[in-house]
Amino acid sequence: MTDAMLSSEKRNRAWLRPSVMISISAVVVAGLLGLFLIFAIGVSVSDALSAFIEGTLGSPYAIAASINRSIAFALVGIGFVIANRANLVNVGGEGQIAVGGIAATAVALYGGVADLPAGLPFMIPLLAALIAGMIWASIAGILKIKVGTNEVISTLLLSFIAVWLLYWCVQSPAILRKPMTSSATLPESLEIPDSTKLPLLTGDYSFPVNVGLPATVIIAIVGGLLLTKSLFGVQLRAVGFNPVAASRAGISYSRMVLLALAVAGALGGLAGGFMLLGDQYVLKDGFSSGYGFDGLVAGLLARGSVVGVIAAALLFGFLRSGGINMEMVAGVPTALVMVIQGLIVVTLAGAAFFIGRRP
Amino acid sequence: MRDPTQILTEPLLALQGVTKRFGSLMAVSDTSLDIMPGEVHCILGENGAGKSTLCNLIFGVHAPDEGEMRFRGEIYRPAGPSDALASGIAMVHQHFSLVHDMTVVDNVILGQQRGLVNTRAWAQRLERLANDYGFALDPYAKIDDLSVGERQRVEIIKCLIREPRLFVLDEPTAVLLPDEITALLAVCRRVSAGGAAVVLVTHKLVEIKKAADRVTVLRGGRVVARSNRPAEEIDALVRAMIQGDVKSLDKSAASTLGVGAPERVRNGPIPSETPTLEAVQIDGLTVIDNQGVTRLDHFTLAIGPGEIVGIAGVEGNGQSELAAALSGMLKPSSGRVFLGKLETTYLSPKELTAAGIGVVPEDRHAVGCVVEMSVAENIFLNRLDDFTSFGFLRRKELLGAARELMSRFDVRAAGPGIAFSALSGGNQQKAVLAREITLPKLTCLLAAQPTRGLDVGAVAAVYGHIRAASQRGSAVLLISSELDELIAVADRIVVLYRGRIMGNCAADPSERERIGALMAGQAQ
Repeated sequence: MTDAMLSSEKRNRAWLRPSVMISISAVVVAGLLGLFLIFAIGVSVSDALSAFIEGTLGSPYAIAASINRSIAFALVGIGFVIANRANLVNVGGEGQIAVGGIAATAVALYGGVADLPAGLPFMIPLLAALIAGMIWASIAGILKIKVGTNEVISTLLLSFIAVWLLYWCVQSPAILRKPMTSSATLPESLEIPDSTKLPLLTGDYSFPVNVGLPATVIIAIVGGLLLTKSLFGVQLRAVGFNPVAASRAGISYSRMVLLALAVAGALGGLAGGFMLLGDQYVLKDGFSSGYGFDGLVAGLLARGSVVGVIAAALLFGFLRSGGINMEMVAGVPTALVMVIQGLIVVTLAGAAFFIGRRP
Repeated sequence: MRDPTQILTEPLLALQGVTKRFGSLMAVSDTSLDIMPGEVHCILGENGAGKSTLCNLIFGVHAPDEGEMRFRGEIYRPAGPSDALASGIAMVHQHFSLVHDMTVVDNVILGQQRGLVNTRAWAQRLERLANDYGFALDPYAKIDDLSVGERQRVEIIKCLIREPRLFVLDEPTAVLLPDEITALLAVCRRVSAGGAAVVLVTHKLVEIKKAADRVTVLRGGRVVARSNRPAEEIDALVRAMIQGDVKSLDKSAASTLGVGAPERVRNGPIPSETPTLEAVQIDGLTVIDNQGVTRLDHFTLAIGPGEIVGIAGVEGNGQSELAAALSGMLKPSSGRVFLGKLETTYLSPKELTAAGIGVVPEDRHAVGCVVEMSVAENIFLNRLDDFTSFGFLRRKELLGAARELMSRFDVRAAGPGIAFSALSGGNQQKAVLAREITLPKLTCLLAAQPTRGLDVGAVAAVYGHIRAASQRGSAVLLISSELDELIAVADRIVVLYRGRIMGNCAADPSERERIGALMAGQAQ
């Protein structure tokens, strides 16, 4: 009994009470290390910094691009946190985004929705994306409750399948590839009809933030309430901590596992829909590349808090945008941004470890 | 060389101001203790008093934070159990460490010898030793085929074959039949007669009366009493152990400690509104596990409203399967269960709760509660729906209702919102009882080992609640490996042996021997 008590106390300290100071100092330390690396590879630190700032905050367009990235990270991250309450680790964000994007494109192009009234042309493809992601993750859920397959493995492998499914969709003219008019036709879909594109908040392409932003804010609030105030949240926690006791108390393990993964997958699929309908407009191979895993890291770093997911998602969104500009303008490899991101993870995990160990 | 007479008067093991902390918990605090050669020294204390920690310090599992230990006059600072064994200290743990697929002799040889092994010679040595100590043990039997009592004998032989100078037994009698306890105590006496010292950890007073030369009482990690004539000072020792008066104790709770003869507290008259209809009817319930072993064999029992039926038996004789099948955690292979007219055989836990079956599971931590969640959430874990509107929990109401139940059931905690893990074992059990007993229309209460690991005060409270439920007309099935508990609380007793009902007995102290024999599988 004492062992269980000690370890649960440990968990409380390390994961349930997010220490904001530690997160901030981890980010600062990792940032400083990143600057040192830039210096070490012989690039002027001031050039790199100004390129970074230019790429993140330099123009309304840059800000909007960063926010659009953050939206995808945030949705995947919130889904991760929800599933994680039930002690599930959804590493399949990448695949859930991919199938969401495929579904959204297919419905937008060939679903006959373009001429429907009042928002339906983009809402129906979004719904399709959401359902596609949900189904994709539910496969892992069904495998887990029927034959006990570990969801880490199944969601990861389902991601590989989805990524190649995406490749197939854009390579085969029989599926989503645009009609081949010449040998130079790219392996991508047609551009989706204008009516199916997500409306911009400002109506101005110099600041292309779309309705995905308010939608994500609402989802974050609902998700946060779900976790902290709802019966569903309590049941998720009960199943996550002690599935046997939960099922004795009438909370079905299978139902909760399936629901938790379905919600996580739905959010991943929705992220794919937002990316496709709000930002990319054309389905291409590899469009989801890295988004699922960055979202996963955002969820991990948030230590169970939705606010934490938002913070991490914004951080990563801006880091990515700044990194791309640093490469273009100052010649700093984008890989360095990945290194900084990795450093943040390691520093945070290290800090959590030391806090957990302090008597 | 020392003078041999001097060795006899010097302690074999001396602990000086030993302290061990786990985080903020003082498991053992400034404890001094002398163990003399040739004595049986009992360490007495309730759960959580620090007995096991003390043993683990002696056996080198933990190192003390403060203080020193001397073994045979020299500083003794074991880095691990192997150091302890090398010094001549052997220990039988509460949980056995045997390889189930191997034979007795192979288990004894394990860790004692490297290189080539002469199994025959070991087996002969083992048999000789067992004969010396007056018990039979087949060296070539597989551990899997042995009873719990026999397995413990293997553990004991594993220790004795090393000819230890100090022999430590941590709560050895918890799993034994009455006869086996007597035999074990005789072994302890023999070991000490041979000049070695025996440290016997227990919370039962009968054992002290029968075997102890000296007693040290622990409470809250401190020594609170010592006695050189324990048999005559039992009352004082109990007072020290529980920090209260024996006479103020619930009589049944006291009898399970071994204070005085087992005494029954009779229930009031059994309500007989529906005399023809049993509250619970179990017909030929059979559980076959996935290895094809029959764990529960055609179990048939009827319990009337307000009746308390006790299930006696050594652990592992089908009680767990019975409880799991009745509580919806295990699908029986055949047989049927009725609650009044309603068949409940294949209902889910949720449906069983709705039907009015309250379950106090045997393994509180694995099945009874979610220790990471709050007290309030645990108390209403099976009824959270009642506090939900539009999917949202009415937390204030939940906390209020929990606070009320906590005061009714005397669950002591800083508040309903704190983590369940912060509660003591007794308070956790009272909270589980509060949840299960307050089910609307409780028709049947199933309580499996409800007092395990609890201190005397909590035991008395648990008995009180079980009796109250029966007086309100619920049928009660009480599963326990403590015979005294069953005699004290139940109206009648059914004995389980290898999954079968061996016999029905009255819950009366005069039946004690017969029940003991039935528990051992001897039909009469």
